Amino acid sequence: MATPVPVLRLPKGPDLNSRGFDPNSPRYIALCRTTLATSEAAGADGEELQQEQHARSVLRERFLRCLLAMTNKKVRFNMHENVTVEATFGSSDIDVLNFQVSDLHTPIGVQKEALIRSQDVISFTFDA
Amino acid sequence: MVTGLRSFRKRKLTLTAMQREWRACGPRLWLSHVDKQVKVKTRRQEHRGRLLSVDPVSASLVLVNLVEGGAAVCVVMGHAVEEVELLQEAGGEMTAQLWALFEPSPSSSLDSTQTRRRRAAVCSWLRKNRVPVEEAGEEVRVAGALTIVAPYRPEDCSSSNQVILDRVQRLLRTQQERTEASD
Repeated sequence: MATPVPVLRLPKGPDLNSRGFDPNSPRYIALCRTTLATSEAAGADGEELQQEQHARSVLRERFLRCLLAMTNKKVRFNMHENVTVEATFGSSDIDVLNFQVSDLHTPIGVQKEALIRSQDVISFTFDA
Repeated sequence: MVTGLRSFRKRKLTLTAMQREWRACGPRLWLSHVDKQVKVKTRRQEHRGRLLSVDPVSASLVLVNLVEGGAAVCVVMGHAVEEVELLQEAGGEMTAQLWALFEPSPSSSLDSTQTRRRRAAVCSWLRKNRVPVEEAGEEVRVAGALTIVAPYRPEDCSSSNQVILDRVQRLLRTQQERTEASD
């Protein structure tokens, strides 16, 4: 069994409140995006908007139930550069920007608690 | 770009390599793909499975494949999706089976005496913990902000206030543990 070792903390990504950080720069938009907005076409028509909102809530509820089913299970994250890491899933934040995991097995050691950025993850799998 | 969705033939939603296209599709299109077999291509890999849901916030797809002894679930992040291909319409039975894995455990059927007894036990436990409760028929109302329906388990609570919901659920869980411990 791998001995837990302290893992190097990589530099944090851009913060929303940093000085001199341009909200219109492509980096900000890429790393600090928020919820996908409702489509403009739906905004004009009340009924279409209602349908879209209904679809959103059904999809979101199902997705949240999937996340709930994943808590405390062993999850395998497939990341960029063919990196695959295994961890115990904790939770995700509201915008699905970060995942909180425990016992992250990395090539250089086991990190007890970690936050994985969703932009670094391509896909993740688990067995229900 | 997007051809008729009603057809059950192989329908290729060929999007450009720009990940934004899938994300821009919209919840109604995503919902129409749910419960169908799809093939999702990312830059390096291909994933197949039954589409369980698409998160409207991040456009991430949840794919499920039934395997021996359960299901293998794969979530593909929205920003990594390059192409989504609809493979076939799904069978109703398999959907119900898959969904049973994620739905909260169905409420066991209790008869009226057991329900009444359970309700009384829950109310007295909450009152003991100084939580204002009142019974409204078969429901239990807590602090005017939370409702508990039969059979009064933590997952039967509904409220729009996260803090109260969390506290009441914790209390109910503690009560469950105590009952189990004393059995």
